[in-house]
Amino acid sequence: MHDLPVIELVHPLPGFPEHRRFALVQLDEDGVLCDLRSLDDPDLRFLVASPVPFFPDYAPVVGDDVVAELEIEDASDVLVLLVLTTGTSLADSTANLRAPVLVNTTTRRAAQVILDDATLSVAVPLAP
Amino acid sequence: MLVLSRRAGESVVVGDEITVTILEVRGDVVRVGIDAPRSVSVHRAELLAELASSNQGAASPPQEAVATLAEALRRRKD
Repeated sequence: MHDLPVIELVHPLPGFPEHRRFALVQLDEDGVLCDLRSLDDPDLRFLVASPVPFFPDYAPVVGDDVVAELEIEDASDVLVLLVLTTGTSLADSTANLRAPVLVNTTTRRAAQVILDDATLSVAVPLAP
Repeated sequence: MLVLSRRAGESVVVGDEITVTILEVRGDVVRVGIDAPRSVSVHRAELLAELASSNQGAASPPQEAVATLAEALRRRKD
């Protein structure tokens, strides 16, 4: 994972219709935790994480419409990020598995994609 | 809001490319079929509301919470 100075959301995040431009900033040396910082509002940021250390089997399947909108040509260009809701510890922090943020690192186009899988929750404990 | 009465099997056309068909009405449950281009996303309203609420709860976490999480991750790795 690496820093991306400007990411353009092709759809705003649900709940935040006014914010379309973000920067991705790595927070730890392993690149697991990142900040998704609004470029339009310095007070708005989201803590996001790679699913790999937490949910190694997580493999979101998206439709052709998402592939087209994000202009994905190669799956290896796509960064999968989970939006985290922090608690006071790892145990009471959760990740949104139902709607990951997908970033095309080549075109810098991104979206929070709602997966068509009702078994996935928007709040899954990070440390079950 | 446009309000229409429809029977099972009848449809409503929205614009040029979206057709909403009432498939079945049973008690207080209505099954609806939506035929739309792939570029038009169709979601249950309550899922979008749940997602908006989840995003609002996730927004701008306190710096201490982020630091605690980062530290817990480091400890877990060691």
